[in-house]
Amino acid sequence: MAAKPKTFLSGAGLVWRRQGALWWIYIVNAALALLSAGGMVERAGDALNHSLAAQRLVHGFSLGALTELMSQPEAPLELPGTGFLFFPFVFLVFLLFATGGVLALYYRDERLTAGPFFEACGQHFWRFLRLLVYLVIAFIPIGIVGGITGQLHDHIDEAAISPYPAVEVFAAGAVVILLLLMCLRLWFDMAQVIAVAEDEKRMHKALRRSAALLRRNFGSLFWLYFRISLIGWVVCGLALQWWKNYVSPESGGAAFFLGQFIIVFWLSTRLWQRASEAMWYRQYQMEALTGAGVTEPEPVLTPVGAAAPVR
Amino acid sequence: MGTSAGGTRLSKYLVFLAGAAALVFATPVPASPGQSSGAATASSKPLSTRVVAYNIEAKLDPVKHSIAASETLVYQNLTGQAQQTFPFHLYLNAFQPQSTFMTEVRLYGTRGTGPDSGWEPKHTGSIAITKLEVGGMGDLTGRMQFIHPDDDNANDRTVFQVTLPRPVPPGASVEFRIAFEDVLPEVVERTGYKRDFYMVGQWFPKVGLWWKNAWNCHQFHATTEFFADFGTFDVKLTVPQNEIVGAGGDLVSSQNNADGTKTLVFHSEDVHDFSWTASPSFQVVEDQWTGSAGAVKIHLLMSPGNRDTAPRYLKALKGTLQLFDEWYGPYPYDRITVVDPPHGGQDAGGMEYPTLITAATSWNMPKGLLVPEVVVEHEFGHQYWYGMVATNEFEEAWLDEGINSYTEVKVMDALYGHDTSFMNFPFLTLGESEAQRLSYLGRPDLDPIARFAWKYYGSGTYGGITYGKTATMLLTLEGMIGEDTMRRAMHTYFMRYRFTHPTGEDFLKTIEEVSGKDLRWYFNQAVYGTNILDYEILKAYSDPVNWYEKKPKFRARPESHDTVYRTYVTVHRKGDFVFPVDVEIKFSDGQTVTEHWDGRDRWMRYEYERKAKIVSAEVDPQHRILLDRNFYNNSYRKESDSSAVRKLANLWMFASEWFAQWVSWIT
Repeated sequence: MAAKPKTFLSGAGLVWRRQGALWWIYIVNAALALLSAGGMVERAGDALNHSLAAQRLVHGFSLGALTELMSQPEAPLELPGTGFLFFPFVFLVFLLFATGGVLALYYRDERLTAGPFFEACGQHFWRFLRLLVYLVIAFIPIGIVGGITGQLHDHIDEAAISPYPAVEVFAAGAVVILLLLMCLRLWFDMAQVIAVAEDEKRMHKALRRSAALLRRNFGSLFWLYFRISLIGWVVCGLALQWWKNYVSPESGGAAFFLGQFIIVFWLSTRLWQRASEAMWYRQYQMEALTGAGVTEPEPVLTPVGAAAPVR
Repeated sequence: MGTSAGGTRLSKYLVFLAGAAALVFATPVPASPGQSSGAATASSKPLSTRVVAYNIEAKLDPVKHSIAASETLVYQNLTGQAQQTFPFHLYLNAFQPQSTFMTEVRLYGTRGTGPDSGWEPKHTGSIAITKLEVGGMGDLTGRMQFIHPDDDNANDRTVFQVTLPRPVPPGASVEFRIAFEDVLPEVVERTGYKRDFYMVGQWFPKVGLWWKNAWNCHQFHATTEFFADFGTFDVKLTVPQNEIVGAGGDLVSSQNNADGTKTLVFHSEDVHDFSWTASPSFQVVEDQWTGSAGAVKIHLLMSPGNRDTAPRYLKALKGTLQLFDEWYGPYPYDRITVVDPPHGGQDAGGMEYPTLITAATSWNMPKGLLVPEVVVEHEFGHQYWYGMVATNEFEEAWLDEGINSYTEVKVMDALYGHDTSFMNFPFLTLGESEAQRLSYLGRPDLDPIARFAWKYYGSGTYGGITYGKTATMLLTLEGMIGEDTMRRAMHTYFMRYRFTHPTGEDFLKTIEEVSGKDLRWYFNQAVYGTNILDYEILKAYSDPVNWYEKKPKFRARPESHDTVYRTYVTVHRKGDFVFPVDVEIKFSDGQTVTEHWDGRDRWMRYEYERKAKIVSAEVDPQHRILLDRNFYNNSYRKESDSSAVRKLANLWMFASEWFAQWVSWIT
């Protein structure tokens, strides 16, 4: 299938037009993080707010001061104890729930009120949960590749005279695993789009169709996904560099806004991928209907959330 | 017994053993201890009492990672009494599954990354003696007997003793002629091979040391190092011609052999050990530094991929040489070799041997992470605190590792800044003193500093106490007696005890002598005890003297400069460590009051009446008591300042948000 150059930028435009999804997800993300930080603030506040030694954390950032704080004999700041792991898990569940609605929104490219949005969320939650189980199963071969890479590294490291080949093999293995993970995500992304676009209830079938779609259009779809990922990495990397080099350690406001910019941008790139994939599939359906596209697999045009009113 | 440690390997290495045996009897006996055959130090006179003279010939088999060797040891009996039984270390036998070393590694880990997670055959190391003869007494191989003075592990073969047919009179010397075979492990705990790299340390039968009227020859433990007599080493190494060799001695000669090997002869004197390294992949960097005792050649042997770190090593090494020379005393040797282990061979890194140290780095080591500098500084420091001041590393490890960690703080702070001497990123910093203190804070009360190294609760407390607490204890001591006095005490200790084997008490008494103070109360708690030092401001507040007067309602009472306040500050000694402290109280009128409390009682309340309220109260305002476990409770400020918490919350929130998004990628 021919590449669809417009999908890349149009996807960004779609995220912009339907930016409500972005902000709501961000608000939930931030609220949960705030809750997570709340426990830490309470504990750290007891030690810091009335201590002159807290200045070691204000002017610059002393790893020693932080470590000492985290190992307070009376109230150590333990990561799991302060919700650092719990709240991200809650966000994961939330996003699993919201993805159906977000994809419906992007696929239709229409304003959705709360009712249809949440209906789409609820309609796809269990389906996507099943997909998640499939995804975990799909990780197994990638784990095997990782294991093989590790063993290969060890074997070469033992046998070779130079240290480089083993490291190069390991690095190559890491790149391959990264690419495999991206392919896997793309495969499941498209399965989710198919599930939403065609109200496909059987996830194994959605996966099969998504695989067939990818097989025939791998180049254009992967390039679409990869480019957006790359933009996310580059921009966030630059922003982190900026934070590191130019934001004063004492500057609370600038650090906060830059940090939140990174969070929003990172999130928006993920939604950009989602939007682009939804648009791509819609165009694919249109082309299939007009006979310009690939006819295999045969798309089934079904109204999204047929029971839901479209406004 | 005897050769059984390597018995199964005997047939495999028969060729080498035969060669070694031939070398044993063909090699001329070296000069007796005290005679020099080269210029290994800048001094023409012996610097030490040379008890031992080792003459070793060794041949490396890079295919089998083995060494066939012979050793002639001339031991001068300066013990003041006749000696008939001599113990020897066989350190390489520690790298066997049933050794005491490995048993302890399984129990509480080790400092390296070797066999902690499970035994693999490549970790096996061994040293097998195939023949032991004593001059004038014949073949005594059958008299060798493995002993285990520290435990009941009959499977430990790291120490053997041999009883001679007749005693060696005081003042006489005895000559041991030993043929032995080393099998090197893949690098574990300082020694072994990695690909084409060899770090060969603790590799030859080494006689114990007569100390405190007894033989001191401990088994090799997971947390112990070494203790040996000073003397001379003449070592002849035969290796493939493509090998680049570094050693803890001066290269006397090099000769290519017809079989594709070359034989290098090294000489070293006034040292108590000899180690060497070889790799065809080394890149050699040469440099020189001149100090008060003359010129010192610097040989840097860099491994592939690490070449960019060479200038960092050199800068740290030269700076350390300079400061040690200025502060503690001269470096008398004419060379120092720095070995940079290759990628994957880091277990050979961070180790000291006389005039040879191993460094540590990694590919693309960030400039802000000063690991190469710290390691080179630390290992060079051991040239003083182990190399020359040769304390008992088995029984009083704090005297080498701890004192060395203290001087590491001093040198690194002087070279790289107090708050940035370990980590110096724009967003994150860590000073050496903080790093040492943190390592102590992990488990501060399980072991005292003064404890045999293998009797610590575990390798974690061994490290935290021996290195971290000792350094922190000495930094606190420095705060008590002053930096200049402390430096003079260290200088006196070094100059007085170099090339001898002092004890912990020798060190502590030197500090008391130089400072002119009775510090026993401190040493008893800090060195010999496990008491925790922790002071806090328990309560600090100001109360109007006329507190009973009604406040006007619905409007704030204007702040009156005439209001008299009664201010209370209570200091609490939370730990059992009694330490006199200063307490600084600041008032709203800008006045500061400093109190001194002997700290004997559990708490002390100070009371003031003045026309000003308290602003802050702080224990140890000069921040000299680094042994204090918790700095945060040392002070109390009346006005709350949440800027630190806001900053932490911001970072926490950012990390939590991003982590959540990463985790949710799977949805």
